[in-house]
Amino acid sequence: MAKNTNGYNIIGKPMAMTDACAKVTGLGKYADDLSVPGMLIGKILHSPYAHARIRSIDTSQADALAGVKVTATGEDARNPYGILPIGHDERAFALGKALYIGDNIAAVAATTPEIAEQALDMIRVDYEQLPGWFDPEESMKAASNCINEERPQNIEKEYHHVFGDPGKGFGEADFVAKERYYAGEVNQAAMEPHATLAVWEPDDRLTVHSSTQVPFYLHRTIAAVCEMPMSQIRVIKPLIGGGFGGKSEIIPLEVAACVLAKKSRKPVKITYTREEVFLAHRGRPITIVYLKVGMTGTGKITAVQARVIQDGGAYCGYGPVTVLYSGALLGAIYDIANVQYDGFRVLTNKPACGAMRGHGTVNVRFAFESILDHLAHQAGLDPLEVRRRNLLKAPCITANSLRVTSYGLPECIEKVFERSGWAEKKGKLPYGKGVGMACSHYVSGAANPIIRSNMPHTTVHIKIDRDAAVTVYTGASEIGQGSDTMQVQIAAEVLGVTADRIKLVAADTELTPIDLGSYSSRVTFMAGNACLNAAKDMRDQIIAAVAKKFGCAADDFEAKNGCISHKGDAGKSLSFDEAVAVALEFHGALIARGTYAPPETARGGKFKGAGVGPSPAYSYSAQVAEVTVDPETGHVRVDKVVAAHDCGKALNPLTVEGQIEGSVYMGFGQALQEDMIWKDGRLMNPSLLEYRIPATKENPEIESIIVESIDPEGPFGAKEAGEGSLAATIPAIANAIFDAVGVRINSIPITPEKILDALREKQKSAAGNGANTSKKPQMARNYR
Amino acid sequence: MTLPAFRVLQPRSVADAVSMLDQHSDAMVIAGGTDVIPNLQMRLFTPRVLVDVKPLRELAAVEFSPRHGLRIGATTTLTHILETPWLSEKFSVLASAIGTVAGPLQRNMGTIGGNLCLETRCRWYNQSHFWRQSLGGCLKKDGDICHVAPGGKFCWATWSGDSAPAFLTLDAELEVAGPSGTRRVPLREFYKNDGMDRIALGRNELLTAVRVPAHMARRRGVYHKLRVRDSIDYPLAGVAVTMDVDAGGICRDARIALSAVNPAPVLVKEASESLAGRKWSLELAERVAHAAIQTGKPLTTSGSTPVYRRDMVRVFTRRALEETWKNGRGSA
Repeated sequence: MAKNTNGYNIIGKPMAMTDACAKVTGLGKYADDLSVPGMLIGKILHSPYAHARIRSIDTSQADALAGVKVTATGEDARNPYGILPIGHDERAFALGKALYIGDNIAAVAATTPEIAEQALDMIRVDYEQLPGWFDPEESMKAASNCINEERPQNIEKEYHHVFGDPGKGFGEADFVAKERYYAGEVNQAAMEPHATLAVWEPDDRLTVHSSTQVPFYLHRTIAAVCEMPMSQIRVIKPLIGGGFGGKSEIIPLEVAACVLAKKSRKPVKITYTREEVFLAHRGRPITIVYLKVGMTGTGKITAVQARVIQDGGAYCGYGPVTVLYSGALLGAIYDIANVQYDGFRVLTNKPACGAMRGHGTVNVRFAFESILDHLAHQAGLDPLEVRRRNLLKAPCITANSLRVTSYGLPECIEKVFERSGWAEKKGKLPYGKGVGMACSHYVSGAANPIIRSNMPHTTVHIKIDRDAAVTVYTGASEIGQGSDTMQVQIAAEVLGVTADRIKLVAADTELTPIDLGSYSSRVTFMAGNACLNAAKDMRDQIIAAVAKKFGCAADDFEAKNGCISHKGDAGKSLSFDEAVAVALEFHGALIARGTYAPPETARGGKFKGAGVGPSPAYSYSAQVAEVTVDPETGHVRVDKVVAAHDCGKALNPLTVEGQIEGSVYMGFGQALQEDMIWKDGRLMNPSLLEYRIPATKENPEIESIIVESIDPEGPFGAKEAGEGSLAATIPAIANAIFDAVGVRINSIPITPEKILDALREKQKSAAGNGANTSKKPQMARNYR
Repeated sequence: MTLPAFRVLQPRSVADAVSMLDQHSDAMVIAGGTDVIPNLQMRLFTPRVLVDVKPLRELAAVEFSPRHGLRIGATTTLTHILETPWLSEKFSVLASAIGTVAGPLQRNMGTIGGNLCLETRCRWYNQSHFWRQSLGGCLKKDGDICHVAPGGKFCWATWSGDSAPAFLTLDAELEVAGPSGTRRVPLREFYKNDGMDRIALGRNELLTAVRVPAHMARRRGVYHKLRVRDSIDYPLAGVAVTMDVDAGGICRDARIALSAVNPAPVLVKEASESLAGRKWSLELAERVAHAAIQTGKPLTTSGSTPVYRRDMVRVFTRRALEETWKNGRGSA
């Protein structure tokens, strides 16, 4: 835990989250806890077929059922939507074709959930089944029967980037490795299933309470789909039980609830079942990575070539952004001059994938850090040393035009080297035990907004009135990551008051100014900076009034320990309450504001696709995993993960550690056991019983180490902490398995079956030619 | 997911419960509810009546006497069994197996009777109404195709309980109350090895207790369970072993039973014959482990592969023998 607080009173000190009490006592209200008089329950009819033309829908029987107030189909809301301006391909309900098992066909709102469910069974849909596309590499060959007629060959988007001279780079390499990596599909599995309460107000306005990370985008989308002006719609984000990207775009139930509310002119609530969460999905796509990396005998990376295919599901969603991140984040971590990237986002007849924690970088980082370990082994080098030899020299601009302002990776590597006992363990543990290391990084918010504009990415207002309470109005969405607490800390620190004086009003489009949302780890950096600016504005206003009263210069005063005090003359100090009264007499009203937009220099290059990847700052992570592999059962136990994360400045070390631990747990789950199992477009495990997120009992011991590189532009030097650590965990475990039993598993999750297959192959080939080879196992057959 | 509409009847005695079951042809018994409730939500059953036997105190007793052996009432919770020290000491295989059932919350609610009458499981069956409907159902529910073994007319839904194999290795008997009184049935005859019709329990019968003969007390025993999560998972394969070993290390008597690889929990018949009168050797353990594979016939009813589950039956059998026999684990 970071000790140095640099003279701050609140910043840098562990603080319990402001909503902790409400959450642990069960008194906090999540979207599904909300209820209003006359509220109807909505249920959605999902397609039973993966790809089918809808000939007709007959809701008459359902409409006639007592208790059913309204039904809706695609005809009730024809306007398309999507999170990206280039991907408006979703509708409230399918029009013409159903594109996956679970696609949204119709909905009912009834007085009870039982009646609503009964009504769904009474809706008659006449389908004409079409052949489905389930394998991304097959889907890319489609000549006809495409999923979306505007997307030939079922390719949603492809990008081809070349930086430097990869051919020349490979020519300079002493070792070149070429591998195929496969990552199965994973879901966020947030504890809180999605829920939306859409209330049609008596004055024909619409109030939407929803489990969203992006109230602002939801606001826009509801306006477009319901054909209402934004000024007539209010979106409120209640407590959120985890997002991880699964609530970072518009989810079908949000639109469905609003359409039903508008049509019935009543409040309508929809809460997803866990199965519906999996059907709405938006998790991390199946990713196939063909990776080629060249390295000199001394461990310097000379060139990288990556061909990445992402199985995006039936709709665009964040797809183009995901596939761009996969390429862009090959850079900004190591010094690599020559890169070729070919990325494909492919449509298949499955639920749309989305922006899951570590968006776009995780699966490619697994491949990259695995191949680096493989190359180091080939060259007879320590894989940790190989990382040391490829570090950037920050500040710098990478080959793909990413601006790196602060770079704590070297310190992260040294910290995990020391704390894990790397030198004593790597290659030296008995058979069955091993250590592996890997690095990762992530953006602190996207430098370019999804909808291009020159408006600020985030705005914060602060108001103080006669009670001298400080009310911070922020659009930023607390989703469990500590967004609210972070802003309370910043405002309290700047104003020199205790945290309990700050009241935070967040994420309510009627009350709070805009923030783009809780995604791409942007909140601490962007809303933090806006809050910092607003708090400084407020502090300066108060000080100006106090200085005037005493006839001194404003510079003579500081806000500290609940006072506005004269630095040289203790007699000219006022308590915060007294100072507020003085300031109200002077200014009339005390209102302050702050905004944030990333600087022009952080916004990246000019090539096609250059908009994704640039960030005002990058976080860094290095991890060492220690594992025990049972060579007879293939079972892997992760004994410990030592994780160092450069978050710039830990504003709240408690939550930073929580984020590191959460990232490692999530990476651990994806590394070893989480997998959405598909069979002909049908999800075989749509439950938390069969989709096996790890529980506390399985999770490894974690030693979190906070590294503070103090970013020049971050609020108090802070950068992101919520996502960057995840990607390192998976390859660290994979590399540790290699160290333990000598097999490389290029396919995640690394199940016991895969390990046993690989061990058998290895034994066979060792027996066959007597050579010491670590031949790759056959790629496990996946149920598609 | 909502629950279907049903009435809950609260009997005052076992006889009362049996008569309620006799009167209502579509009644189901509920005790802990950890198996029944999720299945109702998925509409695997739509009984109009639930007979709630949990409050029947006469079903919750745990007793042991040297003469009558062990008797555990059917509504005894799994946690209660685990927290009865003498029971765990005398019958280590029970503690070993029951400690692996689901998670602590389910064990607090779930009863031993419920665990012994668990519904068989299959990934094509334990799904929501929507999921199964989109596929036209399966042999076990609403359809006429088995998706596990297409073309077949046999249901392979798998026995997924952990306590039953342990009780099988203790020669357990069940007490079953019916309209004409109480009968006893050996546990091994209770399971029918049919995914659709799993247990020999009439619609108007109630499982009231499980019994273990006194001479089985203090046998060494252990249960090995294949699962992904130690925190909560049904078994993908399970092996229970009990053994009576004399002072010279010679096996006087042994039982091996398997779970989660057939529609029933089953005893490995050859095991007792191969082990009795023999001294520990790795080679013998390996041979018996191979025999165990022959008894398990796993198919793709869960997320794991049949090949792997068979393989683990072998490994776990050998390891369980090694632990109980060679290392004396579970000995009193």
